[in-house]
Amino acid sequence: MRTNPLQFRPEFTRRDALKGLTLGAGATLLSRFLAQLAAHAAGSPAAIRHRVVIVMQSNGLRPSFITPVGHKRKDDGKGGSTAREVVEIPLADQQLPAALEPLTPFKDRLALIQGLSGRVALGDHSGNHGALGCYSPSKVLGQTIDSALADALPAVFPHVLLGLAGDTGSEAMNYAHSAVAANKPLPTLCSPDLAFRSLFGSVDGGGKGPFDRQTHLLEFMADDVKRARTALAPEERLKLDRYVEAFESLHQRQAQIAAMQEVIKRNAPQLGEKRTTTTSSLILEAQFEIATAALIAGLTNVVTLTSGSGGQRFGKYPELGAQDLHGLGHGGSIAGKTNEESFIVLHQLHTRLIASLARKLATIPEGNGTMLDHTTILFLSDSGDGHHPQLRTWPMVLLGNLGDRLKTGGRYLEFPGYGLANHRTIGSLYNTLLHAAGKPRDKFGFDDIALKDVKQGVPLPELLA
Amino acid sequence: MQPAFLPLHSRVVGLFLCACASLAPAAPAAPATTASFVATLRPFLAEHCVKCHGPEKQKGDARLDALTGDLAKDRELLTLVRDQLRDGLMPPKKEKQPDAALARRVVATLSHALPKPQTAEQFASDQLPNKGNLIPHDLLFGQPAGEVTPPAARLWRLNSDSYLGLVSSVARGRMDSLVKPFTLIPERGLKDYAALYSMDEPTTEILLRNAATIVERQSAHDFKDGKLIGKNDTIREFVALMDPAKPPTPEQVAAVVKQQFTLAIGRVPGAEEVARYQAFYETCARDGDRPAAVRTVLQAVLLRADAVFRSELGGVADGKGRRMLAPGELAVALSLALGNKRLEPLTAAAAKGELVTKEQIAARLQAILDTPDKRLDTSRLLAFFQQYFEYHRAPEIFKEERFPFAEKASEFALRRGNWPKGDLTLVGSIHHAANLVADTDRLVQRILAEDKDVLRQLLTTDITFVNLRFKEDKQTRQPVPVPASELNPNNHRGIVGPHYVYGFAAWPAAQPVKAPADQPRLGVLMQPAWLVAHSTNFENDPVRRGRWIRERLLGQTVPDLPIGVVAQVPDEPHRAFRDRLQVTREAKCWKCHQWMDELGLPFEQFTHYGVFQKAELVVDAEATAKHLDKNGKPLGKVFTTTKLNTTGEVAHTDDPQLDGPVKDAYELVRRLADSTRVRQVFVRHVFRYFMGRNESLADARSLQEADRAYVASGGSFKALVVALLTSDSFLYRSSPTTTAQSK
Repeated sequence: MRTNPLQFRPEFTRRDALKGLTLGAGATLLSRFLAQLAAHAAGSPAAIRHRVVIVMQSNGLRPSFITPVGHKRKDDGKGGSTAREVVEIPLADQQLPAALEPLTPFKDRLALIQGLSGRVALGDHSGNHGALGCYSPSKVLGQTIDSALADALPAVFPHVLLGLAGDTGSEAMNYAHSAVAANKPLPTLCSPDLAFRSLFGSVDGGGKGPFDRQTHLLEFMADDVKRARTALAPEERLKLDRYVEAFESLHQRQAQIAAMQEVIKRNAPQLGEKRTTTTSSLILEAQFEIATAALIAGLTNVVTLTSGSGGQRFGKYPELGAQDLHGLGHGGSIAGKTNEESFIVLHQLHTRLIASLARKLATIPEGNGTMLDHTTILFLSDSGDGHHPQLRTWPMVLLGNLGDRLKTGGRYLEFPGYGLANHRTIGSLYNTLLHAAGKPRDKFGFDDIALKDVKQGVPLPELLA
Repeated sequence: MQPAFLPLHSRVVGLFLCACASLAPAAPAAPATTASFVATLRPFLAEHCVKCHGPEKQKGDARLDALTGDLAKDRELLTLVRDQLRDGLMPPKKEKQPDAALARRVVATLSHALPKPQTAEQFASDQLPNKGNLIPHDLLFGQPAGEVTPPAARLWRLNSDSYLGLVSSVARGRMDSLVKPFTLIPERGLKDYAALYSMDEPTTEILLRNAATIVERQSAHDFKDGKLIGKNDTIREFVALMDPAKPPTPEQVAAVVKQQFTLAIGRVPGAEEVARYQAFYETCARDGDRPAAVRTVLQAVLLRADAVFRSELGGVADGKGRRMLAPGELAVALSLALGNKRLEPLTAAAAKGELVTKEQIAARLQAILDTPDKRLDTSRLLAFFQQYFEYHRAPEIFKEERFPFAEKASEFALRRGNWPKGDLTLVGSIHHAANLVADTDRLVQRILAEDKDVLRQLLTTDITFVNLRFKEDKQTRQPVPVPASELNPNNHRGIVGPHYVYGFAAWPAAQPVKAPADQPRLGVLMQPAWLVAHSTNFENDPVRRGRWIRERLLGQTVPDLPIGVVAQVPDEPHRAFRDRLQVTREAKCWKCHQWMDELGLPFEQFTHYGVFQKAELVVDAEATAKHLDKNGKPLGKVFTTTKLNTTGEVAHTDDPQLDGPVKDAYELVRRLADSTRVRQVFVRHVFRYFMGRNESLADARSLQEADRAYVASGGSFKALVVALLTSDSFLYRSSPTTTAQSK
């Protein structure tokens, strides 16, 4: 039952994530940033950046879809495992399940993780913010892991959130999955055109004149809106403060972007018609291309890519025959396919895009290796283990070791089942990422109160290098 | 079970309102210094609170023995204490109660001494739509009210509809490729409150791009034979400045700035403002591209705070320090109360100085409401009823599109959910949620058009629309009723259309129509759309239905589902749903469920698709166990019926007119429709919708007058709206600070 009161203002959000970047720190940051660019050009190890990409698909990812072909899990009948210790199988000799088949070229970089529970986020077809925050799906109770990682891995755009809307075409943004703090959800841009303009708009035709005018406009507006504040009580001024800050922040970014014109231009994705497409799979494709380009251009180090808008808004793919994803969850199928095959079609759509992102990063040299060597990609569903999830296990796929900080080298890991002594939760995996990214916490997420004697939200030594 | 962790603000358990019925608003106590105040407060907390919220127990994770002494730091906790005390929620009834006068003094002192909200989040969380009911009803309606203290001057961010509505007059109606910049909260209930929204960066980016697109269109042009020619739907004066060879004069720049102000904001800018925009033009024109500089300046006007927020600052203060909305503000406020665009009659009246007295305003409003023209988007009025009743959420509840008739359930189960092929007798019907919503929309509009005893009609009308839409007859040019959803018999063998849901064997062409006598329906709460919107994927949801009645009709609140509790009804398909819901009678659940379940259970009269039922269908466990093929393999479920129990109870309202058992949903809705309290709670919700905020005690008179206007007019919704839009609560603002200047 999702009947919570309205406890946030969606618009009062992202600015906070940028505060440290833009208030006062601007000049220092900029010079540090320029130094980094220079170092990058010189191939210096100081230039190495670490990146995290989170890909979250709607409508569940069943445990069997991340289990190597032929492996029999010790199923406790409720989705968990009866194994009392962590089961590990090297992937080298294993065949990946069909849903993950596109990731085969990266098998030696994968960790398929089974058995972490997330019952605390159990809800109505989606954990909503709780999926990445490790808390109840009915409220925005705290920072989600992607936002926490963005704090750990800052960039001009600290956190890029792109997605496919649950209601394709009518939603420019949603606030469905990520949050910078309690009651402060973050917007996900659901239109590739918007995403492109936001990240690459500065090189989108024009040249110096338009760029300068845009800079003047932002400066003028910040001042103009400030003037309107005088007639207001302090709490009303807050509304305009946010608007002023938005202009200031965009203005600040103009300066950073001006310093990056060449690298941005070189990397701007050529989207063609995909930029304004209304076809779901093409929207996703475009969003992945934009994300890839933004990572390569060094505009950001943390990207969240989502399909669906939480709750029962899964999105739909009429072009693939998948009109009704809810129906799919209830045994329906794409014409000519079984229910399982239909799910695999949609998973492969996502894993193919992940593979192509990884492939692209693997072609860009960085330090003694490639960008992919310093990246990790987490793939999961906001609905955990299925359309009607139990969340006793929340299947997770990690690709890449984040610069040798994670042990993902071709492993299948199965944690002990729900309630057993060595059982672990998704909060633990998230904290593992935070440790790897250099911003460790003692624990991450809220406790599942039904799990007694289980260490929750602590990092996983099994994965931490 | 361990107590679940709850963030403080969600622990405002707003119930048990009866205790404060006699709690009249106390005079504010003298301001107290932080330290001395905390010193006097401590003994009170020690006596009444610390036993359960102290070193030994920390119920609800709250600890009141360890206040820092700094009111700013303790603000959240003390706000909670104040609210609980004010609303009579704490101390619990079984504990020793504080002296009433003392408790009132503590509440008043806390209200006075607690620091004002410092952050946007604090500010918003004090004013969420679901907090409205926390003010005890009797304090608003129980005694004659004093003069309204107007709310502070404020800004109200446009919503996407009003943004596009206002922009359409600027962009000359060419709206394609403009992006909706604003999102509303996804939760149930009213959504558009002034306190809830501001601008974040992505929103601002969208506004910037929309502004560029709009100005591009306003000034679109070609050069033909060296001559500048504006395209269709452009603005001549803007186009005239697009010739790079002819630099505009400062006067020309000033003129287009003024014109854009008038279009976008509805007022002429002051000289100083114009000068700033002229200077901005010079900055932008430095690189020589003067047309582009003009366009940038025109964009800036569209991005101004007063172009994207509704300003409600008020004009000149009267003798009591109250400021009536300035005529321009008022024209916009009234226009956006009724629709999504500036309404010309109001703008014109404001310009002529004829929007000053309440009588003038009422007359203009009445005229607009009586003769809605094409410019008045009535969806804004309908949207209130959608957000209030929430029947429009029916399509969000996924259900199997085809569902079998009860008597065919066993046959259907035998086929394991596969619909039989070939010629057959009818086996089921079809669920088209969007059609159901359209029917209820139509019913609401019909009741609004008649405008008599509106709330009673909404709750108890016996007419309904059935799977209806209108098509224009090509010859007569008159709209004729046709089924909204016609089933192709080839694709839908054995399936009956959506009219079955309403109880009709054949689609009735004459509409509205009374439901069949053996399957009666009364009002919106028995419309399939409402029933579906308040159901789950496979079952009825008496809890949600009861909660709706408790909050929206009885004006009380129910605590949220505690975090960590997974609410599930046992999966026992052989028992009636009502019996399965008995799990909530366990004391720890019943504490909250007593406010909901008994109000929702009478609607077991209908299935979760909204079909009338005389008996409830359940699985016959015994027969199913025996239903095997010769190899002992189960053949599928066998269904049977169980006696339907539609009883329920209204309780805890402390209103003898309301409290007491009901035998079915019909008795329930009739009793609710007869209630003065229910009518007034409805008025409170209408107030919230049009004011964009919760009512406060200071609004009591506006509410009472609106209620009286509604009653005196024989239940006219228009009269209610006019009364609210001419109330002091709507028309006046107080000065924000003594130093602030009015604009």
